[in-house]
Amino acid sequence: MALVHLKFSFDGIPGASIPREWSHSGVVGSGDMEVLLTRREQNGRVNVTVCTPVSGFDRVWELVLRRFVAESGCGDLELEINDNNATPFVVGLRLRQALLEARGGEI
Amino acid sequence: MRYSELQRKSFLEATARERAIGLTDEGSFTELAGPRDRMMSPHLPILGEAVSFDDGVVTGVGLVGEHPVFVISQEGKFIGGAVGEVHGAKMAGIFRLALTAYDHAAQEHPHDLERYRPAVVVSFETGGVRLHEANAGLLAHAEIMDLIQDTKGKVPVISLIGSKVGCFGGMGFVAAATDVILMSPQGRLGLTGPEVIEQEIGKEEFDASDKSLISRTTGGKHKYIMCDCNELVEDRIGAFRDALCGLLNRPYSSLCRCRRIGSYELVREQMALVRLAAQLNPSDSKDIWRYYGNAEPDLIPEMEVKEFLKTAHRRPREVE
Amino acid sequence: MEMQMIGRGRDAVAMLADEGSFQENHVGNAVMDAEFGPGAVVGTARIGGVAVTMIANDAEAVNPRFPVVYFGVIGMEEAYKMASAVYETIEADREKRPGEKRPLVLVVDTPGNAPGKVEEIFGMNKATGAYQLALAEARKCGHAVVAIVIGRAISGAFLCHGLQADRILALPKEYGTVIHVMPLSSISRITKMDIERLEELSQKSPVFASGVDFFHRLGGVEEIVSAPEKMAEAVSRHIAEIRCHKAKGEFEKTGPWSRGILGAERQGRTARPAVLARMQQEFSQVSGRYLR
Repeated sequence: MALVHLKFSFDGIPGASIPREWSHSGVVGSGDMEVLLTRREQNGRVNVTVCTPVSGFDRVWELVLRRFVAESGCGDLELEINDNNATPFVVGLRLRQALLEARGGEI
Repeated sequence: MRYSELQRKSFLEATARERAIGLTDEGSFTELAGPRDRMMSPHLPILGEAVSFDDGVVTGVGLVGEHPVFVISQEGKFIGGAVGEVHGAKMAGIFRLALTAYDHAAQEHPHDLERYRPAVVVSFETGGVRLHEANAGLLAHAEIMDLIQDTKGKVPVISLIGSKVGCFGGMGFVAAATDVILMSPQGRLGLTGPEVIEQEIGKEEFDASDKSLISRTTGGKHKYIMCDCNELVEDRIGAFRDALCGLLNRPYSSLCRCRRIGSYELVREQMALVRLAAQLNPSDSKDIWRYYGNAEPDLIPEMEVKEFLKTAHRRPREVE
Repeated sequence: MEMQMIGRGRDAVAMLADEGSFQENHVGNAVMDAEFGPGAVVGTARIGGVAVTMIANDAEAVNPRFPVVYFGVIGMEEAYKMASAVYETIEADREKRPGEKRPLVLVVDTPGNAPGKVEEIFGMNKATGAYQLALAEARKCGHAVVAIVIGRAISGAFLCHGLQADRILALPKEYGTVIHVMPLSSISRITKMDIERLEELSQKSPVFASGVDFFHRLGGVEEIVSAPEKMAEAVSRHIAEIRCHKAKGEFEKTGPWSRGILGAERQGRTARPAVLARMQQEFSQVSGRYLR
């Protein structure tokens, strides 16, 4: 019944972080999630922690996150996610929105 | 989202953070105990419930003109905006800071206090106590009522109600205890939520699936007619902000006169209203709308805000 | 269990008061309307020789005008009657100094605020809020306010009648005392969490489970009074302590704020002080932008 904590680490692009020290995006509604992005110079690595009530989806999380890191071309980031049953589609969408917001773009 | 777009955004659809930023002057809002502090509920994980970095409430300080405005903005999407230990402590913290800011203003600007007086603004979106940490949530409510009493004579407390969840449970009386209440027609305010009435007394008393009944009983227009809401505004962040700026430009004494409870005189006025309730025993809010002189109550629910404000007859206040 | 006090608000008033001293509906200089708010018992009594205003629930009264108000439920009339008793008490001692003003004793046995359509149309939230503001005002202008839970102290009704006191006392659970927001069965239904798991967790966590002991650990109850016959002594003792604090101007040593501190001391609510400290610290870093 306790919450599940997952940790992932991916190779990103050195220097492709966010302009601000940190940025936050999203609301932990039902079927939704929030993400806190923190800039961290670490040879491009993107570390992700996920806190979710749902267990048994480690592989899906890894796939979705790996694709996000690859497609967005980000790097040097810590991502902390609080999830409440978001679907893989919503996770991908929210991450792209969060990165855009963090980089000062319009959403 | 740009500030100007935020002003045009529906208050009903906005997140707690968007409301907090949009209500204060552009670029002036600083969040306190925000997501980066990761002050999450220690109780939800034990129950396997999702947590949020802000525990469902955005707290911070901004400016409206020279007034420091201390903001509490609840997020209904996170467990219905319900109040647990952290959420409640963040609310209490805002009141404490506002009281400190008042002491500062009173000392620095004793002759120009009207201009520098701080305010507390609460954008409610909550059903009250969070059941997952019910006891701590309950105790937090008592603290907030205590702090509201501390603000009397010092800091105006302004309630904004126009979000999806409405303002119910213990937070229903917290709102009632504040100085001024602003609502949109979509806003809902009460103590016992429709589902709870239906469950406790039965569907004959209250059909919780009847949206128009809920709106007639707890909605902004009804509360405006009853003088339980002081101003009715359109469903836009900018409309709430304009009303808020208008209030903060008025003398503090005029905001105190917006109160409905908080003195013996006001309690006596409410007691007369309760006697009327017993005498009329209305089966629907429309009965009381008619009683106050609204000849065609059936037209009220569909009316545009402007037209409603022009034509509505309200409960005459006894205490000025 | 022969001495259960649940549903016996009037008996508790009689037990607390010096023999024969309770004068119902006489509060301060006023005589209250006996017909209005029959579920609320208000009056003046002496406890250990000290004149106090007493406010209690009557579980046997039925309000003929508001059908959901019976069995100790606080309806609109009841809450405003209770608020009036507080304001009359403040009025009567307006000239006295803090600590010398007459105490208020709240005898708590209520299952809830009135949940009805008429109540929502006219604003039950105002009624319960009005009583709480009155109690907070009394406390802050120097009256000692003591609540004693003799039966049910449930959710919003406990907030209304009890949680604004300087000190809260309660009879132990062996006497049938119930303090909670909701029974676990309802929490389970609404949150869709497994009842057995909740029961197991509730053994450890004071934060959501029902019970006097849990509220004590959270700082929501200052003292558990071992038996009904000890209530009068305990109430008198707390009144004396509170009066002492008020005479010295120590207004935050009692009441909801002090219970927050007590909750941390008893390890029941430890997140609260961390949040408050963080907010204070963060504001001090930016206050120059806001305080001119």
